[in-house]
Amino acid sequence: MLSRQNLSTRRILLAWLLVTPVVLWRLLTSVYPFLRTFYISFFDNSPVRRTFDFVGLDNYMALTRDANVDATLTFTLFFTVTSVALQVVLGLAIAELLNQRFKMRNFTRAVNLLPWAMAPIVIATAARWIFHQDYGLINDIIWRLSGERPLWLVNFTTARFAVTITDVWKNTAFLAVIFLSGLQGIPLELYEAAKIDGADGVRSYWYVTLPLLMPLIISMMIFTAIFRVLTFEIVYALTNGGPGTATSLLSYLVYLEGFRVLNFGYASAIAMLLFFIVLVVGVVGYGFLRRAWERL
Amino acid sequence: MNTQLNLKRGIRTTLFTLMVILFMIVILLPIYYIFLTAFAPSGKLFTVPLTYVPRSLAIARFEDIFGALPIARYMLNSTLLATFSTILALTVSLLAAYAIARLNFPGANLVMIGLLASSMLPGTATVIPLFQMYQTLNLMDTLHGLLILYGSALLPITTWVLVSFLRQVPVEIEDAAKVDGASFFPLLWRIVLPVIRPGIATMFLINFIIGWNEFFTPLIFARGAGVKVITMALSEAQVIGARSEFDVSWGNMSAVAILTTIPVFIITLIFQRQIVEGITSGVFK
Repeated sequence: MLSRQNLSTRRILLAWLLVTPVVLWRLLTSVYPFLRTFYISFFDNSPVRRTFDFVGLDNYMALTRDANVDATLTFTLFFTVTSVALQVVLGLAIAELLNQRFKMRNFTRAVNLLPWAMAPIVIATAARWIFHQDYGLINDIIWRLSGERPLWLVNFTTARFAVTITDVWKNTAFLAVIFLSGLQGIPLELYEAAKIDGADGVRSYWYVTLPLLMPLIISMMIFTAIFRVLTFEIVYALTNGGPGTATSLLSYLVYLEGFRVLNFGYASAIAMLLFFIVLVVGVVGYGFLRRAWERL
Repeated sequence: MNTQLNLKRGIRTTLFTLMVILFMIVILLPIYYIFLTAFAPSGKLFTVPLTYVPRSLAIARFEDIFGALPIARYMLNSTLLATFSTILALTVSLLAAYAIARLNFPGANLVMIGLLASSMLPGTATVIPLFQMYQTLNLMDTLHGLLILYGSALLPITTWVLVSFLRQVPVEIEDAAKVDGASFFPLLWRIVLPVIRPGIATMFLINFIIGWNEFFTPLIFARGAGVKVITMALSEAQVIGARSEFDVSWGNMSAVAILTTIPVFIITLIFQRQIVEGITSGVFK
């Protein structure tokens, strides 16, 4: 009896010993800095002016009056909704494509992964060249088809679409891979049963595939939406948030305030706003997910 | 009747093939365009309309960027950081994953959920205090300082995936070894490691790619040439030989883009299946 208790105490000790490095590493490099960001957001903290003064909610009040923050939130909403919608629809289509039997299927699946493997900063920087008005790839194709050469990165709306298209090109592969795996998990008998009931093709997709994939689709939508809100590189390298503030995102704003203006207090308040949005997306999304599970 | 059916099937196959071709073009053409730009002889870069099949290729831009920037050093740093952050993260994640999957201790779920929650904390919401910490601790512009941050980013997902791999492996083998009196580390090394080697290999590949592609962390924490990485050379290469602010060398940028991309493409094309398994096991299990 005693020895058994000893064994289990030893096992628990060993377990905690084994998880300590991971837990400590994350506490020091993620959890503590996050709490500290919250703390700094109540201070006027600037390494240039050498200040560290408590200002209460001043930074948060300033947020509500900041036109840049307004513009950033507008684009964040546009970018997140448009990009997630396109990625989910295209991801489902590509997954369906890659799930068929055809020659070179394996090669096509590997090609699908290439944008996923490329560095975001490479794609964002190259996209500026690809969207170039006179010599870019996209305008070359549009010009051949229509004789027009749209100014992508100078106009408000087109710049927003340029950022979105670049993001969709890079990240849809990831969703396609996951949806493909979801498709492969659906038992074939269900399709046979649907066929007997007279449903095939589009209708079996609508009545069998989509409902079964729905929890996966919703959880990937949450995940994708969160990462859209956090996007940095594409805006940093493709548009610098411009023209004006048309394509500014919160991460980029934190970077500008924190490391160009060197206004740590205010940048921390923006970072907390960013965290709050991620939290809301997560919580609301989780609600939808639970409802989808219940319906299944 | 039969010919009609055949016709219908023929149309369907043709449509499908067109879709596959369209998909391939959308993915591959931009990559090919970057390649073309990197190898275009100077003077051939700015042509309207574009020439998609070049008559000659030149490596002048690669000579230019290697001449003007410590590209080899950048690539070495990228390799070192990606490799060692991966090894470190895998080692500590394996220890934690073993405890969570096998030792059935109070708090195991808390650790799992805590890791997941901490991975949702945006990097931008932690970067300012980290920057201040790194300045006080003299970790700015050091490879080990970067290594800590690179590794940290990999821990949550790596632990989750390894736990899922461990749970798929039957416990009986380990129990038999325990009866034989094998102590913990030999057990881990000789019994556990061999059976989850596929999981480790998969996470090695994915983590290496993530580390290699890192940009935001070095942008903030690596400012000296000795610790800079290859992704930072993209913007530096654009201004080589520039006469004004608006003079951007797209050829040089493309050359760096090619250098940055080739290693990850090789890994992806060779290990496609393993990578897909890693991505999906993070989501499904």
